[in-house]
Amino acid sequence: MTELPVTRSTVRGRLILGFILTVLFTLLLISRLAWIQIVQADELYEQAWKQWNHNLPISTSRGSIYDRSGTLMAGSMQADTIGAIPMQLEDPLAAAAALSPILEIEIETLYELLLLDRSAVYLKRKVEPEVSEAIRQLNIPGIVFFREEKRYYPNDDLAAQLLGVAGMDEGLSGLEAYYEDLLSGSAGRIYYPADARGRQLPHDFTRYIQPQEGLDLYLTIDQSIQHIVERELDRIMVEAAPRQAMAVAVNPHTGAVMAAASRPGFDPSQFSLYDPDSWTPAPFTSSFEPGSTFKMIILAAMIEEGLFHPEEEHHCPGYIVVNGRRINCWTVDRGGHGTITSHDSVGGSCNPVFITLGNRLGADKMFQYVRAFGFGAPSGIDYPGESSGMIFSPSAVGPLELATTSFGQGISVTPLQQVMAIAAIANGGYLYSPYLVEQVRSQDGETVYSHEAEPVRQVIAEDTAREVALLMESVLITGTGQNAALEGYRAAGKTGTAEKIGEDGLYRSDEFIYSLVGFAPLENPRIALYVAVDGVTKGPRFGSYTSAPMFKRIMEESLNYLLVAPTEFEDTGEEE
Amino acid sequence: MPETEKHGVDRPLLLVTLILAGFGLLMVFSASFVAAEEALGDPYHYLKRQALWIAIGMGAMFVMSYLPYHKLKRWSILLLLANYVLLAMVFSGFGTELGTEARRWLNLGGVILQPAEFSKLALLIFIAAYMSSKSLKIRHFWTASFIPLLFVAITFVTIQAQPDLGTALVLAAGCGLVMLFAGMPVLQASGLFLASLVPVAYYTMKEEYRMQRVFTYFDPWADASGSGYQVIQSLYALGPGHIFGTGLGRSRQKLFYLPEPQNDFIFAVIGEELGFIGAVIVLLLYLIFVWRGFLIALKAPDLFGSLLAAGITFMIAVQVMVNVSVVTGTLPVTGINLPLISAGGSSVFFTLVGIGILLNISRKAQIN
Repeated sequence: MTELPVTRSTVRGRLILGFILTVLFTLLLISRLAWIQIVQADELYEQAWKQWNHNLPISTSRGSIYDRSGTLMAGSMQADTIGAIPMQLEDPLAAAAALSPILEIEIETLYELLLLDRSAVYLKRKVEPEVSEAIRQLNIPGIVFFREEKRYYPNDDLAAQLLGVAGMDEGLSGLEAYYEDLLSGSAGRIYYPADARGRQLPHDFTRYIQPQEGLDLYLTIDQSIQHIVERELDRIMVEAAPRQAMAVAVNPHTGAVMAAASRPGFDPSQFSLYDPDSWTPAPFTSSFEPGSTFKMIILAAMIEEGLFHPEEEHHCPGYIVVNGRRINCWTVDRGGHGTITSHDSVGGSCNPVFITLGNRLGADKMFQYVRAFGFGAPSGIDYPGESSGMIFSPSAVGPLELATTSFGQGISVTPLQQVMAIAAIANGGYLYSPYLVEQVRSQDGETVYSHEAEPVRQVIAEDTAREVALLMESVLITGTGQNAALEGYRAAGKTGTAEKIGEDGLYRSDEFIYSLVGFAPLENPRIALYVAVDGVTKGPRFGSYTSAPMFKRIMEESLNYLLVAPTEFEDTGEEE
Repeated sequence: MPETEKHGVDRPLLLVTLILAGFGLLMVFSASFVAAEEALGDPYHYLKRQALWIAIGMGAMFVMSYLPYHKLKRWSILLLLANYVLLAMVFSGFGTELGTEARRWLNLGGVILQPAEFSKLALLIFIAAYMSSKSLKIRHFWTASFIPLLFVAITFVTIQAQPDLGTALVLAAGCGLVMLFAGMPVLQASGLFLASLVPVAYYTMKEEYRMQRVFTYFDPWADASGSGYQVIQSLYALGPGHIFGTGLGRSRQKLFYLPEPQNDFIFAVIGEELGFIGAVIVLLLYLIFVWRGFLIALKAPDLFGSLLAAGITFMIAVQVMVNVSVVTGTLPVTGINLPLISAGGSSVFFTLVGIGILLNISRKAQIN
């Protein structure tokens, strides 16, 4: 067998086999090409397109924020952002060295940015005009300028807590964050063809994604009233040096927030240096014991249920014993109110009477009203991070809890909840949801959204509301809130002195929150206002010298500003 | 040796050769002008060089078509020795890297030659001559298989040391095919094929970049900007080419995305500019070429002519198949150019010389 020579017939057979295999392999390659060039063509084209086309963002203009009269509160101005197209740089190190002193960025940091494998990088965002001008002078190829917007506030820090911090790319807090999607619009993008070295090819732009302008917000805030409120808060901070002071004013007929602020405040341009608690208005985001202001809720419930008889007489020895525990009245040091009618216990803010009344109302009814007035649930305001406070769950209410709730202890509520509950008393019994944005408009002025104020529910009857309001008026005339009585306007109010719970979980005897909530004018309320001063360290430690005068000044000046006609008192002839 | 009736060269083979070379010239220009302008300031640089080499190669082809191929059998030992001398010279002072990382070229007084391209032809002639010697007993392993393979192996090792694994593999495949056509027993061939995997695996694993290429073959996107880059860029040319192509001269991928688009990846540019249709036509032209070469081998008047014609034809076929497989991501990346089309003087020159020999054989073959 091994002696066989090579024969032509063998060669012929194998050549034919070789040719057949070549034909088959060619067919295999053709089907492979069909797979790539026909089946996968679109997918590969999409991927290749991304490689061929570089893009630059087109920033859009962020919506502005106006107050209710259309005065600008937060706007945007043009600012240059310095960027680089790394592939177009001729000498990245030299560029880094030249830019470093102007941008105030380390050379090494810049150099690393300039070497990144990206179509474009930001070097420094939203620089001052002088900086961008200096860099333009250098005329470095590959260094580019993007027009961006920078937030500015015509009134500096006014309403800073409400407006929030805009941040570089998105709202970080307040309304800027809550309405980020509406304010920001959407950035556009422009695509241009480039070769593998990043150089733009001499063709038209290949794709253009139109930017969508942000929408403008028109707030319920009245810049003038906001200013009055903040000025008064600053004043009390100086006069009484409290740990904290706050105020919130709403339109009782709609729930529109007219002003809200707290001190200490913060500087939005350096927000990170401040305590995060100072970034938001405390009336929305903090909750604590309401104290005696809460008696108005109990009072409204009693009247509505027909359990309140103004002339009924009680005896207040300065304390009351509930379930074996003694609960003091604030008058304990002078032996109590003595004999007192239900009517006078409102003005006199008598704890034992309200505990008695609350007991008569019963836990189920009481908490039904407490919830109906909006406590224990978020108010629904269009502001991020609202607190909802805490009230007892029905199963946890014993005689003691019932007693303390009757005069506003042992539960926690927000000032916003309180002012909305009082607004319900002011407007004839309707609870509204507070809100900050009245209208949303396009930058062309077209109205996109308009708030329709609808009551959440009717809590009490109009007659009941009227009766509570008159009783509250007596607080400012003859009761604990006399220093809050207004010049020229009938008003209703209720004082509160909340004890604070220290870090050990016990009540602290040295720090109180003095609050006052009320509304004016009595006949046709225009403003419901809550003020509180927390932890006074200077001067007289009474609500009557801190929260009451603050309430009076804010209310009077705001009503005057709103051109509310003074109450026409009937001529009683007393002066004759 | 029976002299057959004299007639002309095989016209279809000549025609398809001219078409492929002319088309190649066009595509070399289209693929290279942007990069040539940028790097050398002359968009016609590669076009001019390629045109010159095609012209010289055509001259050589013409001469070879008249040189009786029997003489090559007598010169085969001489050619084999010349091949070793030239390959050895690559490692001497005449060798040059031409700015690449591989030492593959000879600089002979300004003329740049790639001896490995000559080696392919020289070894084919030697193996065809050896296998067609009258005293050869085809089933005798030591004389019919071992000895010729030894010469192939020495050449293979020398070329791959440059390094130029692609050319070395094409050479080995071409010579191996000639031996198979000659009747090498299938069992022996299978055993030898398996044995040859050992050195191939060794050389592959020896070099980091070759291993990378193998991994890349399985998933080019795993390292898209590194070793997978070439394959992905090639697919980004073929895919967008779609059925009808972007149009001649309108490749996007040649704008520095494809490395050396006028060379090993020129088929990607063809697929991009002329689409699936263009790519398939090119493949069919090569198939016509192989068909004519196959017929010449089949009808060659003697065994030497038959084996030589088969060797030249199928070595070109292997080169086309491997190149297109690499460009389509069907095989791992190996540096093999597309014969007659890719830019490269030595390659096109020696390919045309080989075709000249084929044409000469066709003069004596009775086709149709």
